[in-house]
Amino acid sequence: MAVHKGRGFAAIEYPTGMNQNGDPSQAWIKVKPDGRIDVFAGTSDIGNGSKTIQSQIVAETIGVPYEWITYDNSNTDSSPVCTGTFASRATFVAGKAAEKAALAVRARILEIAGKELEIDPADLEIVDGEVLAKGAPQKKISVSDVAAAATWTYGELITGTGAQLKPYASIVEPETGKVDLSPHSAISYASCAAEVEVDDETGIITVLRLWQCYDVGKSINPTLVEGQIEGGAMQGLGLGILENCYPYYPSVEHRGGEFGSYLTPGMEDMPQIDTIIIENPSADGPYGAKGIGEMANNAQPPAIASAVFDAVGVWVTELPITPERVLRALEANAEPRRIGKLVIFDEELSINTVGNGPVKLEVLV
Amino acid sequence: MKAVGARVPRYDGVAHATGRTEFVDDVRVPGTLWVKALRSPSHHADITRLDVSAAVAMKGVRAVITADDVPLLEYGHLSALGIPADEPLLAKGEVRYKGQPIAVVAADDEEIAQAAVDAIGLDLTEKPALFDIRKAFDADAPRIHQWGNWYTHFEGGMDRRQIRKGNIEDAFDKADVIVQGVYRPAAIEHVPLETQVSLVVPEANGRLTIYSCTQALYFSMGVVAAHLQLPLNKLKFVGGTVGGGFGGKVDTATETICALLAQKSGRPVKWRWTREEEFLCSSTRAPWHMEIADAVTKDGWILGRKMLTLHDSGAYSRFSPYGLTKHSFHHTGAYSIPNLEFDGYVVYTNRVPTTAMRGFGVTSVSFATETHLSRIAHELGVDPFELRLKNANRIGDTSPNQIAYTDPSTVPTILAIANALGHKLTPDYRAMTRDPRSGDLLPEHLVAQIGSTEGH
Amino acid sequence: MNLSVNGVPHNIESAPLTSLLDVLREELQITSAKAGCEQGGCGACTVLIDGEPQRSCLTPVVAVEGAEITTVEGLGTPNDLAPVQQAFTHHYAAQCGFCTSGMMLAAHAYVEHGGTEDREAIQDALGGHVCRCTGYVKIIDAVAAVARGDSFDATLTAAGTRMTNLGGVA
Repeated sequence: MAVHKGRGFAAIEYPTGMNQNGDPSQAWIKVKPDGRIDVFAGTSDIGNGSKTIQSQIVAETIGVPYEWITYDNSNTDSSPVCTGTFASRATFVAGKAAEKAALAVRARILEIAGKELEIDPADLEIVDGEVLAKGAPQKKISVSDVAAAATWTYGELITGTGAQLKPYASIVEPETGKVDLSPHSAISYASCAAEVEVDDETGIITVLRLWQCYDVGKSINPTLVEGQIEGGAMQGLGLGILENCYPYYPSVEHRGGEFGSYLTPGMEDMPQIDTIIIENPSADGPYGAKGIGEMANNAQPPAIASAVFDAVGVWVTELPITPERVLRALEANAEPRRIGKLVIFDEELSINTVGNGPVKLEVLV
Repeated sequence: MKAVGARVPRYDGVAHATGRTEFVDDVRVPGTLWVKALRSPSHHADITRLDVSAAVAMKGVRAVITADDVPLLEYGHLSALGIPADEPLLAKGEVRYKGQPIAVVAADDEEIAQAAVDAIGLDLTEKPALFDIRKAFDADAPRIHQWGNWYTHFEGGMDRRQIRKGNIEDAFDKADVIVQGVYRPAAIEHVPLETQVSLVVPEANGRLTIYSCTQALYFSMGVVAAHLQLPLNKLKFVGGTVGGGFGGKVDTATETICALLAQKSGRPVKWRWTREEEFLCSSTRAPWHMEIADAVTKDGWILGRKMLTLHDSGAYSRFSPYGLTKHSFHHTGAYSIPNLEFDGYVVYTNRVPTTAMRGFGVTSVSFATETHLSRIAHELGVDPFELRLKNANRIGDTSPNQIAYTDPSTVPTILAIANALGHKLTPDYRAMTRDPRSGDLLPEHLVAQIGSTEGH
Repeated sequence: MNLSVNGVPHNIESAPLTSLLDVLREELQITSAKAGCEQGGCGACTVLIDGEPQRSCLTPVVAVEGAEITTVEGLGTPNDLAPVQQAFTHHYAAQCGFCTSGMMLAAHAYVEHGGTEDREAIQDALGGHVCRCTGYVKIIDAVAAVARGDSFDATLTAAGTRMTNLGGVA
């Protein structure tokens, strides 16, 4: 009886935006008479920080301080369509709509600044709330003064709208799954190594360390990126060794109806996590960003399962890998069946064994 | 300072830190009614009697609704994508999972609402239930829907999602080793700290203001508008500030029912699910059943993959056909596997319907395929990093549905972790990039699968 | 019966067995304490009762007659944030914000009672508070920072621990 250490590894990919696309997001922006910016979008902030991210994108794109932005996603009367905060789309798709709206506002500001300065708008840029002549920055007018001129001199409201929609990718060959367009926006990539300790007497697994690497395209807000990665690691750990609605699945009995009987990861379950971020920009996300919110809990479960094998020599392929499952696997110490070049694991779990219908996965050699 | 790339303060950081962020349950409207639901005590049964008259007659009860009060009883979450509706807002004639709502009461307070629910007459005739998706295809399996136990509306009228690529029989013939395994990740609760909640206020002008915890304001507004058969100008969704979602609040769980109760009572109505309801009656991440057989060479090339996936949808379809399709598109993971035969089924069981959750459709396949690759590496005696680097998708390789990858970062993310661990790799592997394949990394079996490297 | 909340005396009209959480939220309209489970399992309803963190959902109001209750509203205001509030903001220790009030009050009590920046001690003190968003990493960072007596720049946020950015890589 002993405690064994093991390491496992996994590499994964995950798409940004709804599968097969067809999921619009829109934004519109108006400028107050002193140049402060009001952004209206229908993107829910579920804690992921979409209010912050879209405000940053708008500030950067127009060229004004972040503090100038008011972001309103509060209701469907003032905010335009957003398909929603899911499918890792809030930064990539909704953020792109905000960027497009901000570009339209920037163009209007430059146009009016051009009239005020008597300079071609193409020769102007906006830096930190001021419109400057390129190469002659002493010729300038503040965005506040431009907005005032629009309001009081020209009788205009500076607004901009933006919409992002990648067309729906149809499956043109149902038999093969061939599609007529790319069925997603950018793909994000990640890999993860886990180090675990397994007690072969109690079956208890402790995840000691995680090493993770994510290609995020571009960190629009590095602190928010870290938050997604850290929170995802926790949920991946929950998937790997703790959480289960149906402890005796497929039976529906003994479901937990409270925190004491459904095991969400707690502070004490969290291992040391070392994370490496790569920024290979996407071709069409805002500032090269990709969506990584969801994938952040996908790499840990297989890394943990492989680490458990490395530690105690058994494959547990039903999640979560509970102490009971570890002990049962150790007791069974099952070997795969080998027929010629065929190596068959987990036959007792297979539909070939359990089911009596026509659906099977059989490999004949 | 530049805003993009900067560690700026969270837009809502101070509001969170001072307890001033207003969630739905923090909105106070005088005269708000409380809601309780009669939920099915049975996993599968016919409803032979439903009598709400005693509840309606109780003092303090302001509205009771059943399936008969819903203008459009069945509306599919993905009707817009051609996925037909199969789930009633409130059960009619039959219950298909324990916890399914049958009738709902709005009353002056929680105690009256619960007493009214307890006073509803309900008789059920039990039917056999199906819980094991592997037995759903058996001739003697209990039947869940009149059309059967699995979804039958994929493109071309197919009853499964198929992927076919290359020549699978040839790959299995040429393989040195074929490794087969079964992978079964569990159902998971989303467990947002804020349970499902909405508050609907009927306005003087006939509109309904719907305070909602939805992750998708317009999507949920569409669901309510469809069930109530109202144009969008009659509804105003208020929200955008959500106490955690993780996919579970893409379901429109409480809003439609509160809207109907508000219409019927003329009063503001709030329904906040208890934590017990959230655990036992809210949708979960789906359990999946995946079987994989990979044809490999002894030096670690993956020539082909056969895969069978059963997606436990619970009693109704919700987003499951979408999730399975996404799953099928990603069943090769971050690798180039040129010959594929994938079959996937959305299978019904008498459990709470499953729905989207973080990583929808792909969390399952990442677990299955990556654990499987570790198994293969061990079987072959090949380094698990090298096995992955060799087969890693590269610029120009094509996906299961024959779209070229333009910016894969599989190789750099694997190398980053190998370096962090101090894992020994041969110089060839250490020098690998994501650039298009050539030389030793373009063996004969991959030549035909190279696509365009132009952007998509 | 009488109760003091954030230094303000209140005459409570709710029935004696009403939970302190309901008294705060429904009678006094103080909504920072959240009904996360009403089973005592998540910590979102935590308030300080005479300086000690307690689950308000499981506390009948009659049991705390005459006590001094502190909610997040009593820690500080947006213009005058308490150190724990500054730390949670600076470290992005709140994502959705629903568990944050309870978490901060437990953290505030931990530091007030002389808690150190030791991670295991913080885990012990805040164990049982469920956060589903952050993975707890930034929460522990924030509590450790308060315990150390860090000062916080309100215009910036903290870089995460054990994070490396390699930029673009082929």
